[in-house]
Amino acid sequence: MKNKIKKQHFARYIFAFAIIIIGATLEIYNIGKEFFSFQAVGSWMIYVGFIMLAVITLQIIVNKKRIVDERMSWIAFKASRITFVLLILGAFIVMIADGIKNITLPYHLFMGYAMSYMMLVYFISYKILERYS
Amino acid sequence: MKTKINHYRKKLKMTQEELADKVAVTRQTIIALEQGKYNPSLELAHRITKALKQKHVENIFKL
Repeated sequence: MKNKIKKQHFARYIFAFAIIIIGATLEIYNIGKEFFSFQAVGSWMIYVGFIMLAVITLQIIVNKKRIVDERMSWIAFKASRITFVLLILGAFIVMIADGIKNITLPYHLFMGYAMSYMMLVYFISYKILERYS
Repeated sequence: MKTKINHYRKKLKMTQEELADKVAVTRQTIIALEQGKYNPSLELAHRITKALKQKHVENIFKL
């Protein structure tokens, strides 16, 4: 099967290159060394940009036919709802924990944990729903 | 919802994978439909009816 490069692939390539260019600019002008308490944001953006390039290229090479049917959309919707509810619940727990004992966590680390928690909850709930519904 | 997908599919000697390809869904969706775990949309029900060479949706799906 012939590998097709679609419009969305081009858009994603452009986005990845833009991230690399912005990252390089930040590095060159020494802007990202202390950016919102996140160290060396420029080099991280370059790193993410290259990973994006690799992923897009792999997707074009493998060219696996992806089917997104109505049941998958329905499961995704339910999983997002569960994630939303658990995010609110998690936020309450964090608030209570912060009230009991002050949480001294850098902002970027806190956001990293929050994002990981969201992704993990979504992934687990999606897999459970896919299997049992 | 009760379905007769399994019955008509076997009558046509069709695998779950083949039926899934014909109606553009995943095999897991066909499994869920056959087990009555998932209620399809009207569009998908019609596509399945057509793929199983039936005239009426009621022949395959029953409440």
